[in-house]
Amino acid sequence: MDRILSNKKYIFLFVFPAFLLFVTTIMIPIAYSGYLSTLDWNGYSEKVFIGFENYKNLFADFPEGFTIGVKNSLLLALLSIFIQVPIALILAIVISKGLKGEKFFRTVYFIPVIISTTVIGQLWLKVYQPKYGVLNYLLSAIGLDNLKQSWLASTETALACVFFVCVWQYIGYHMLLLYSAIKSIPKTILEAARVDGASNLQIARHITIPLIKPMIKVCVTFALIGSLKTFDLIYVLTKGGPVHSTEVPTTIMYRVLLSENNYGLGSAMAIFIVIECLLFTVFIQRGFKAEAHTY
Amino acid sequence: MGGFNKCKKKFAALFLCFVVVLGIVGCGPKKAQTDTPSAAGEKEGKTNNTQPAKEEKVSLDVWHLWTIENDGNAVSFNRALEQYQAEHPNVTINIDATENEAYKTKIKTAISANEAPDVFFTWGAGFAKPFVDAGQVAKITDYLDEAALKNLQMASANNFMYDGALYGLPYSSWVGVLYCNEEMFNEAGVKIPETYDELMTAIEVFNGKGIVPITVGAKDAWNAMFFQNIASIRTAGTELSTQALMKEASYDQQAFADGAQMVLDLVEADAFDPSCLAFSYDEAKIALLNGECPMMYQGSWLAAEIQNEEISLVKDKVVAVNFPALEGSAYNNQFLGGAIEGLVVSEKCEHKKVAAEFVAYITEAMAKESFLQGSGIPVWDIDAGDASVDPLVQQIVDLAYGSDGYVVAWDTFLSGADVTTHLSLVQDLFAQAKTADEFVKGMQALNE
Repeated sequence: MDRILSNKKYIFLFVFPAFLLFVTTIMIPIAYSGYLSTLDWNGYSEKVFIGFENYKNLFADFPEGFTIGVKNSLLLALLSIFIQVPIALILAIVISKGLKGEKFFRTVYFIPVIISTTVIGQLWLKVYQPKYGVLNYLLSAIGLDNLKQSWLASTETALACVFFVCVWQYIGYHMLLLYSAIKSIPKTILEAARVDGASNLQIARHITIPLIKPMIKVCVTFALIGSLKTFDLIYVLTKGGPVHSTEVPTTIMYRVLLSENNYGLGSAMAIFIVIECLLFTVFIQRGFKAEAHTY
Repeated sequence: MGGFNKCKKKFAALFLCFVVVLGIVGCGPKKAQTDTPSAAGEKEGKTNNTQPAKEEKVSLDVWHLWTIENDGNAVSFNRALEQYQAEHPNVTINIDATENEAYKTKIKTAISANEAPDVFFTWGAGFAKPFVDAGQVAKITDYLDEAALKNLQMASANNFMYDGALYGLPYSSWVGVLYCNEEMFNEAGVKIPETYDELMTAIEVFNGKGIVPITVGAKDAWNAMFFQNIASIRTAGTELSTQALMKEASYDQQAFADGAQMVLDLVEADAFDPSCLAFSYDEAKIALLNGECPMMYQGSWLAAEIQNEEISLVKDKVVAVNFPALEGSAYNNQFLGGAIEGLVVSEKCEHKKVAAEFVAYITEAMAKESFLQGSGIPVWDIDAGDASVDPLVQQIVDLAYGSDGYVVAWDTFLSGADVTTHLSLVQDLFAQAKTADEFVKGMQALNE
């Protein structure tokens, strides 16, 4: 086996198909978008080369505020990293301690990840529904009628409501990643710590978390990138409304590309999102570089 | 044994490569061909480049968006198609139907890739304009003799006129009307509004009873836009509205500001649900069909659903009236609507004459069929015989035939980014985030 894997011919043979797929389905489309982003083109008209004009328009006088979208997505990224991942971590640590019904909880928390986002969106539309929605119903059931809202219709509450669902949906996903990482820590280490009289909190702080750092890094990266390119849930819940209060870069891009046929500007947005994601990934890699723990 | 293993691995690697290559090749142009059910027919059509003789076999690819079998337009199209096929056995029609939103993307993509089908459905005015500008649509009158169009109400075909030439044929038109649940009005002891003041009274009475007076799904912005469009017709009239839409007049004038103010007044008077910005068209419609809301301003297409007992609790309880008249306005008998849906022939079609005749045949037959179904107002002079028409549809047809003028919904008249700007400005009105003045200035920015 080693002989095969060290043979350059075989390496090429094994890597080439995947490389070909990667280039044709990812690299070429990105490069093509890069090319389109320098054009003034509506899909049918003559392609007019305008250089970086589209990128300037991204943040200059763009009427529906691409800046609002970017701000919102960054806010979501912060929420994901500082609320979603920590909650997932706590759940993972608690569940992995082998409490009764471990499997049950693991499955329950993971359910939102399995369900299609469109279904999740419909579900929460019903929760937030102002007339018969569960949320308003609960509020009036406990006598808080004055807190009843038309949640997704008001510019003040819509963003928070949408982001709540975004954050909630993927807690289970991160939990499962972290859970499996925790489960792979050798039992002997934990037992040794316990014999030495470490409390649960101490074990978590000084043993579990340092040892699963690589997985936390993966989770943070996923949470960040997922937030920057989130689309489906927001589209189902509010379509970026009311009055653009829940707009994110992708919803604006969708509209500019598909309703306004502005392929140049839309592609510039796509390229912006790609670069943004790459940059932040690099930052996170740097941020976590510090020390590496091994068993 | 080792040698055998190595051999197996080599074989496996080769096989993997083969599968991947196959996958890539399979995703290529070949797949596109099998996607259209017409691959064989297309080939057949392409072999003869000359105009076909009477009995020559011709095949046409036709794209439309009537995917739901019992949808009014789908039924009338299929009936028209059956008749056509019975009379033209030499023409093979290959249908490709795609759902509305997906269709918009699909047809745009096909046209930009120069792969438009022979005949396709499109909206007129702003939607088809880029297709015509790109030279992808055939001038249909070049391929039809005058007799073929003698029944067409030319004035209604204006949305398919570009630079004075006719490019497509509509089948029926729509008109915006105010649907009023008569039973609820009677219970509340209010008159069905004929004037704007009466509308305001009705709104007040219904609000007093805890009933949302008018249902609208402003999350789908076009729905909210109807109110701004009809209000502008009342204050500015169809002529000025059309001029402004054609960028020949300014929106930034009192008439349009008054129209926007009307919408703001309605919002202020709680005419709509405070959560309407979170409701879709379907949710809003259900409030009318369930008898929760007494009023909805919508297109004539809704009549068929109101009268469909399977989905409606208000069959025969709803009347259709003109949007309330504004005191002192000269434009009280003008309507929002028009003929915006039709069929066109692609410029690259091999048999344009056959295709054009097909379009004329189908649209004329559809005009009649959809009238009988109650899903559209015919734009062809038809002979409906003594077939009975639903009373609600009849009311709408009477309103439409008595009208002084039309403006088609603004989002179909405008094109590209102008549409989204307009829609988002209307939503701003509904959210009370902009004043009437800011609204007209925002609209005027499109014309500068």
